[in-house]
Amino acid sequence: MNTDQRSPGTDDAAETGKSGPGSRQSGARQTLQEIGDGIAAAWWRFFDWLAVVSWKKLLLVSLLALILGGILKHPDPVFMFIIASFIMKAVAGGKRRAELTASAATMRAEKEQLERTVLEARMEALQAQIEPHFLFNTLASIDQLIQTDPPRASKMQQSLIRYLRSAMPQMRDGSRPSLGQQINLCTAFLEIMAVRMEERLQPVVSVPEGLKSAVFPSMMLQTLVENAIKHGLEPKPEGGRLEIGAEIVDGQLAVHVLDTGMGFMPSAEAGVGLANVRERLKALYNGRAELIISVPPAGGTCATIKVPYEIAPASPPP
Amino acid sequence: MNALPAPTAVIADDERLMRDQIIASLKQAWPELVIVGEASNGREAVAMVQSEEPDIVFLDINMPGMDGIQAAKALAGQVHVVFVTAHDQYAITAFEHGAVDYLLKPASADPERVALTCERLRARLKQAPDPMNDLLAQLSQRLGAGGLKPREYMRWVQASVGANIRMIPTSDILFFRAEDKYTRVQTPGFEALIRKPIKELIDELDPDEFWQIHRSTVVRVDAVGEVSRDFRGRQIVHVKGSAEKLEVSRTFNHLFKQM
Repeated sequence: MNTDQRSPGTDDAAETGKSGPGSRQSGARQTLQEIGDGIAAAWWRFFDWLAVVSWKKLLLVSLLALILGGILKHPDPVFMFIIASFIMKAVAGGKRRAELTASAATMRAEKEQLERTVLEARMEALQAQIEPHFLFNTLASIDQLIQTDPPRASKMQQSLIRYLRSAMPQMRDGSRPSLGQQINLCTAFLEIMAVRMEERLQPVVSVPEGLKSAVFPSMMLQTLVENAIKHGLEPKPEGGRLEIGAEIVDGQLAVHVLDTGMGFMPSAEAGVGLANVRERLKALYNGRAELIISVPPAGGTCATIKVPYEIAPASPPP
Repeated sequence: MNALPAPTAVIADDERLMRDQIIASLKQAWPELVIVGEASNGREAVAMVQSEEPDIVFLDINMPGMDGIQAAKALAGQVHVVFVTAHDQYAITAFEHGAVDYLLKPASADPERVALTCERLRARLKQAPDPMNDLLAQLSQRLGAGGLKPREYMRWVQASVGANIRMIPTSDILFFRAEDKYTRVQTPGFEALIRKPIKELIDELDPDEFWQIHRSTVVRVDAVGEVSRDFRGRQIVHVKGSAEKLEVSRTFNHLFKQM
């Protein structure tokens, strides 16, 4: 697995020597060093080959070398070299086996770590799902609207109920959530926020109907939307636009949340939210999904989640 | 009674519905109070207090631009401050020991609390406004608003990948390497170029997260797989997720001293 890594002092190191701080060496010394590096590289390559080659092949090569030695009339040094090789093979083979065991153990540990992370992320999602701040502020807004604009109060309350309802069952059953469900959740959330923030939030949801049946992990889009509002638009006095879009790119479902807000702060702590999304993507898709944060030319922030495109099985009626 | 001018107040909250609600609650609890202005962020609040000179300002803590605590700092000693918050446990603990009052949103849910606040304010209007030094220092620290904050290191690197600008989390980066005019950012999946030289980069990165191992190389500590020596005794760092080998210059040898 890591035969390459075991051969130090090869070309890369030599290059670093040239371009790095040691470049003020004299030409002669440099040439010597290059020759040295070359020999070292060849030696380690031979050593690695020896460690992994099968005994059968080594025997065959030895036989050929002996015949060659016989032809050149110097069989003795060749014979010595072959004996040395066999001894080294015995030693290096053991080392190789030890390395394989070690790397298997590391992989097992990493897998366990990943499983733990998923569990933790799930717990966290359960707990942090409905932020008390959001709930209190929304209830306060509804309360105010009841006094001044009852029809709007009723509409906002319905949005809140839809939001709560779609946020709850997702964690309970293990069924695979669809993009449509996630969009519904975010739309309800955006409706509430648009009442509260008024013209400071202009939500645009443009997701093709056909993509709504695609599988999409739960609570990730919600995290991106909450981030866009909390860190992008709320801190900006004049607010801005928030756009949710989805498309298929190279067989992958790419869902993005773009805001024209404050822009991303390089010193911003990765935050529980984004870190969670990344960990969960890693655990669920094992490297076949990613979260990309980019800066749109017009400013603001664009967060994109790419997952393999799959159609969700029809969910049973509630 | 008419000898005393009516008390005045400014309300600052980024959500109009919240302002309306506080005004409605205050109207019930303290009909004489005149609302002379409404502000939707901290900066507006400061400007309005300075132009209208009210007796009291109600400041939401979470506001864009300048938050309630920063606004209170700017207005310390000029006006009586009441903080308004929906759910900030830290803030509430801080207020309970302070000279300044607070209201919880929704104010309408607890008219008695609003009445109590108004009563306290009436009593306090006779005194000069409290400069709130201790409280504000405590709040800034707890809520991380302005003031004293632990040093912030770079957590994201803004880099060009092809035609796009991407924010790469530092936890994804294996190493940085100086290359001519640019610095190469290497992740397991791709590489990107930034203009910031290693020299500047090292000051902005968290020293617990990244180590400089060479004049032209900075490596993320957790990405280091193993350190070997070549035949000349130079240390070589092998990074998990990359085949590239990174030389450690002598100045930085001590980093990988054996335990």
